[in-house]
Amino acid sequence: MAVLIVPASLLVLGLLVAPMLLMLRISLNQFSPTQMMIEAMSADNYIRAVTDPYYQQVLGTTLGIALLCTLLTLILGFPAAYWLARIESRWKSLITILTLFPLLVGNVVRSAGWMALLGNDGLINATLLWLGIISAPLKLMYTPQAVVIGIIAVVLPYMILTLASVIESIPRSVEEAAANLGARPGTVFRRVVLPLALPGVAAGSILVFVLCMNTYATAILLGGPQFKMMAPAVYDQFIRANNWPFGATLAFILLAITMIFTIVGSIGIARRYKR
Amino acid sequence: MTITRRTMLTTGAAAMAAYTAGLPGVRAQSSQVVVGTWGGDYGQLLGDLIDKPIMKTKGGIEVLQDIANADPRKTKLLAEKQSRRGTMDVACLSDSDMYLTAQQDLFEPVTADKVSRMNAVFPNLQKAYAIPHIYSAQVVLYNPNKVNPAPKGFADLWDPKWRGRVGFSDILYSANTVAAALAGGGSLSNYGPSQKKLMELRSLDAKIYPSNEALAAALKSEEVWITVMWLARGFMWKKAGIPLEHVVPSEGAPAIVFEASIPKNSRNKDNAFKYLNAMLEPQAQIAFADKMGYVPTVKDAALPPDLAKQINLNEAERARLLQPDYDYAVKNNAAILDFWNKQFKA
Repeated sequence: MAVLIVPASLLVLGLLVAPMLLMLRISLNQFSPTQMMIEAMSADNYIRAVTDPYYQQVLGTTLGIALLCTLLTLILGFPAAYWLARIESRWKSLITILTLFPLLVGNVVRSAGWMALLGNDGLINATLLWLGIISAPLKLMYTPQAVVIGIIAVVLPYMILTLASVIESIPRSVEEAAANLGARPGTVFRRVVLPLALPGVAAGSILVFVLCMNTYATAILLGGPQFKMMAPAVYDQFIRANNWPFGATLAFILLAITMIFTIVGSIGIARRYKR
Repeated sequence: MTITRRTMLTTGAAAMAAYTAGLPGVRAQSSQVVVGTWGGDYGQLLGDLIDKPIMKTKGGIEVLQDIANADPRKTKLLAEKQSRRGTMDVACLSDSDMYLTAQQDLFEPVTADKVSRMNAVFPNLQKAYAIPHIYSAQVVLYNPNKVNPAPKGFADLWDPKWRGRVGFSDILYSANTVAAALAGGGSLSNYGPSQKKLMELRSLDAKIYPSNEALAAALKSEEVWITVMWLARGFMWKKAGIPLEHVVPSEGAPAIVFEASIPKNSRNKDNAFKYLNAMLEPQAQIAFADKMGYVPTVKDAALPPDLAKQINLNEAERARLLQPDYDYAVKNNAAILDFWNKQFKA
């Protein structure tokens, strides 16, 4: 039976682990504008990345945006997921597919749609100007708010579907029993549904958090040139500055921070679930 | 027939071996050439003026375009440096990018015995590792309805009258830095004054747009009135109905040349040399000038006088054309990007 995992393992080893090891090696090299890379074994790039206030700020923005989007997605996604899980209709599978619908459009195309809505001569500004509510266009594009809206639109389906599958497995009779014993709907949610749905909350949040941390297209297209998150900063170093060692360093720092937050978050939720 | 584990594994392995063995052979023997180029107008024009009429019809060579922006292409060339077989036969890049990649000894030498049209190229544009395809100059573009009297040079962008009306394209950070250096009394070998000037412009609310297209949209909606840009792109934007005039800056106009080279690990070198030759054909050069506003790099491509007036520099302006200091530019690229991101855009 063990042979069954061989193809997948080989694929992961060859396509993920090997390039990552290579990148780890590159991150220890030194940058030279004319020779691109000088072989070295130095932690200079890591020291620069953690001590430079600019990259501290970029990392801070990335973490802040990712945590905020995860929280908002959870708040927005839970009621929808609950409804989706409990609905008894012949349209249920159609509704599930509709939830997936936004994922059929690529990030770039979706962001282009947001640009048409939020731009200075976009739909929202044009309508407000036409109605006479504003006299000059509002700055909606190239703001952190635009990025948050754009990211939530991308990740919401992941949260809803993950939560819905877990909520579906919670027997309705448990909720009814709680209600029978006098619990108000709010108490049923807080004391019964939410604790039982915690594995789904954990899985959905981790999935969404990882996606948010690695946001690239949405950050660039809706955040504009002055808004920096980690993934665009990694791209900048690799592609524009040709500084592969520093780009690899930033990529590893992004990976490490994402992993730390994911692990700490899962342990925290697992402990709570056991109680 | 029942498939046992043994047959499954052996046929699988045989199929895999056949597949991998077959891969490199697929393209090497065919009559093709892979051209790494920009998409958009440039790629389209290469297709219409060179790929189809010259390469395919006359030479029987099929051209495949590998479309990407310059940065990914540069990265690809560098990443493939160690490979015996590259994926590109011709690589198109700007002169400074080409210089940077050529420092890694990536390109075949380009000589007149391999590319006969090299004999027609203006001597000051000739390089050992690339052909000059088209060129233009960095100028000040302004909206004549708003910016009056006309600016004279880069320094006019710092006039407080134009607060909030100066726009830049983010992707042209190095060209913008050069303009700031020149405005501050620097040169193409001294970007020193650019930092102070850029910070001054920042406090004058200069706008930064993520792409050239976004900048064009802002010029069209008259959100910004003045910018620095290649004369050729200004010509195209003017043709597209954007209210614009250009001025060749009094501080000097940095030249930009778009070049093409052949990576040493190209698998179709003969076809690639034919391609470079075709890029220098007079009719292709004139058509590029007409459509995109770039000036021909060969002596025998005479432009119609009306077109020449719009895209060429006159004698006095030509004297202000500045040749880049590639070595200095390459060594300072990472530093100016850092400053651009961390200080100017912050």
